[in-house]
Amino acid sequence: MNPFTVLGLEETADDEAVRAAYLAALRLSPPDRDPEGFRRIRDAYEALRDKEHRLALRLFGPPPLADLMELLDAFPYERRYVGPGPWLNVLRERRR
Amino acid sequence: MGKHKKPKQAGRLAQETTSLGTGEWQARVEALLASGQTRDAVETAKQFLKQVPGPEAEALLVKAYQARIQALLANGMHKEAQALGALVSERFPAYRAQLAALRRQSEVSGGNFHTLLTELSTADAQRQRELEVILTRELTDPTVLADSPALPADHPLKRGARAVCDLFTAVTTGPLPEGALAALDMIPRHSPLAPWKLLIRALEAFYRHADAAVLANLAGIPRDSGPGRLGAVLRRLLGENEPMEDRSFAVATLLDKVSGGRALLQSRLPQLNQALTRKDGHKALAAVQDLLPLFQSTPPALRRSFLATVLHHWYHQELSPQGLLRILPGGKKDPDTLRLIALTLERRQWDAALDWWDSYLTAAAAAGTLPTTGPELARVLLHMVALFPADPDEVCDILGVDDEKELQRLIRAGEIPAFFDRRALLERARVADSDLVVFRALVAYYDQRDPKRAEAEAEAWRRAYPQDLEPLLYLMRAAERRSALRKALDLLATAELLNRVHPEVRQSRFRLLLTSAERRLKEGKPALALDDLALLAQEPRAGEGDCKAYLLALSWAVAHKIGDTAATTRLEQTLATTVDNPVLAELTLGTVAGVLGIKLPLQTGSPTQLQAIDGLARACDLFHTLGRPLTVPAALLTQVEKDLASATSAQLHSLCVGGLWLGRPTLTYAASGQGLTQDGPLVHRFLLARGRALSAATTQREQDRARQCLRAARELASRARDMEAVREASAALDSLPDWSAFDALLQGVLTPPAEAPPTQEEVARTITVECRSRSIPRFMGQKASRKPRRTPSPRQQLPRGLLNEMLSFLLEGKL
Repeated sequence: MNPFTVLGLEETADDEAVRAAYLAALRLSPPDRDPEGFRRIRDAYEALRDKEHRLALRLFGPPPLADLMELLDAFPYERRYVGPGPWLNVLRERRR
Repeated sequence: MGKHKKPKQAGRLAQETTSLGTGEWQARVEALLASGQTRDAVETAKQFLKQVPGPEAEALLVKAYQARIQALLANGMHKEAQALGALVSERFPAYRAQLAALRRQSEVSGGNFHTLLTELSTADAQRQRELEVILTRELTDPTVLADSPALPADHPLKRGARAVCDLFTAVTTGPLPEGALAALDMIPRHSPLAPWKLLIRALEAFYRHADAAVLANLAGIPRDSGPGRLGAVLRRLLGENEPMEDRSFAVATLLDKVSGGRALLQSRLPQLNQALTRKDGHKALAAVQDLLPLFQSTPPALRRSFLATVLHHWYHQELSPQGLLRILPGGKKDPDTLRLIALTLERRQWDAALDWWDSYLTAAAAAGTLPTTGPELARVLLHMVALFPADPDEVCDILGVDDEKELQRLIRAGEIPAFFDRRALLERARVADSDLVVFRALVAYYDQRDPKRAEAEAEAWRRAYPQDLEPLLYLMRAAERRSALRKALDLLATAELLNRVHPEVRQSRFRLLLTSAERRLKEGKPALALDDLALLAQEPRAGEGDCKAYLLALSWAVAHKIGDTAATTRLEQTLATTVDNPVLAELTLGTVAGVLGIKLPLQTGSPTQLQAIDGLARACDLFHTLGRPLTVPAALLTQVEKDLASATSAQLHSLCVGGLWLGRPTLTYAASGQGLTQDGPLVHRFLLARGRALSAATTQREQDRARQCLRAARELASRARDMEAVREASAALDSLPDWSAFDALLQGVLTPPAEAPPTQEEVARTITVECRSRSIPRFMGQKASRKPRRTPSPRQQLPRGLLNEMLSFLLEGKL
């Protein structure tokens, strides 16, 4: 997975932003509670902490995913507020 | 048509039913009702009433009408149901009360709650319960209750509905403040608003990501209640595989909006995957078109992942890219798209990828997304340089030119694009950014083409980065190659100040001083050579192995050059004492003397076999390590090769390596054979040496033996995790002519079958065969033995070189 995506960073992020994002992500996924998430965060940080490497990722990445379906994992799990309208529209439709 | 048919149908029905009794009428109507044929049931009941008028017929007709009204309501035909209900109530006033509930329901289903609510406010308890059941089922918008003039302002339902409306809007608009849900506590469990209360709680938990609480609340909402349909939708949003009975536009829109497009992604991505697998470009394009808007609002990194992945799979499936390029954002003008295409192509088509990279540079500069100078530009240019194949001939083949000169000429003439000029790309990179990665690339480029230029670049690198060790080491090696040893030593001194413990730095001083001492001796400057020797004596490496013997030999040479006979004799004795082996002493002195043009008196005395073996083995180790040539008398070699029974494994290994290094395969052959009889941890090394020695043999049988030995050596080395030996064995095998490939070609098979690694039994058999093979084969470069030999078979007579030629010819012919 693209390390920028894992840490929720823009590709122009500097060292300070990378470190801040890493620490924030660690608070949400500490190793004792989410070992898998922690591993992903750690790998992403290792990939982005070096400026040269970060530049290379920005210019020559991201690498393509071997399986298209992995995009589903990368897609954000959102729960958006949409107001009452769309919910009520479902009920207003005639029952079949 | 219908008009004409109806009377006929009624007439026919009348004819059919004239003879039916009451019971039969009832049965017929009940059967039609049971099968859901409510229209026919009504018609039949009408006939019954017409034929046998009476209360029974009337009751049956009203029942049929009720069923018909319910059927209309189920089909969403509320107005028709209302009208029919009104008509039946008017025609059969005695049944008004029976029809009242159904009439209310049809009104409510049509969105008209007024009559129901008016009745509700004055109804008795039982009637109230009946009406509340209808309300529970039909209330799909709580504002109907909250705003209804039919209910007084302080009616509990009205107050509850107001609270539900407010909280439903709040919970779907943003996070709720602490305690906000307490307003729902006024709604009792059996209230028509109870399902809404649970729905609001479920939504609040949903946005808090408390999925267990969502499901717990949804479990309490009856599916046929007003908000019941939203239960399935919420479950789907939780990621449950909820079967959706309807996939209406409103449901799809809600799923998409709340999930931020994830629901659409879940359905389209598998479609794209399938279309790509089946190489269906049309369907794949349609799926990409649906997915692109989803990723437009995601973070750029994710969007790029999506594009890179689609491009990669698109090209991998060899689908035509034209359609895809047309629908990609920005198309051929978008720098990011150009960049991703270049990255996709460079895995297979470096020349096409360079074109796209060049386009990317132009587009990115125009768009302002890539600075016209700086590290980003430099890295892209270096990346383009790195795409060129390492083999310059391959570059020329692809571009259809004879050599690099012609390439440059055609580039200058504009016949070949400028981005194929590596030097120009590197120069642009240097101008963009004088980072050490640029310098490194420049030095690497010029190293093989223009060593002077490479040194100049390394100097520039050193000036720009004085703390960097790399350019210093490069310049030191270059100076050494040019025999500018003083300069090399000066550079080494600077390198030592930067990093004394670097491996190359640590090893270089001894090597350079040794070379300097030898050169000074050759130049007739013994005093200066002595200075070098004095410095050498202080080096840690001087005390390693038999290095001291070599240094003593050089000191002896100095003494000889300056004519100090006493010193010469003393040093000879010291050398003999130090090495404690007359053979080693003689070989060391003899080789040094030979290189420096010093005449050494002929040594008398025959060494013992132990001394000969030990001396030769140590001499091979010493001179091989120092990288100096060793002169060994033929007689000594023959003596050692004749009898190695007393040699240790370490000595045998040194002789194996030494034999190959000296170009004496017989020595290696003999030593490896002896080594194989001893067993031990070096078996794979002895097999390797044996195989390499046999590679130089002249007959095909020995070539086959060489192959067996090398394969066995590789297998054993792999098991012993001696990767260096594995690599050596593989390289040696690669250099052997592959008879299986030759045979396959003769049979018209281009690719020979892959060889499986040898089994334990095969390895053991190889070792046994080699242990038994005592006679030393004839190696290339050796004179033929005078002993009469039996005539070899015609195949074995074919020289190895000729076979290689034939093989190459066949391969070229096939290709």
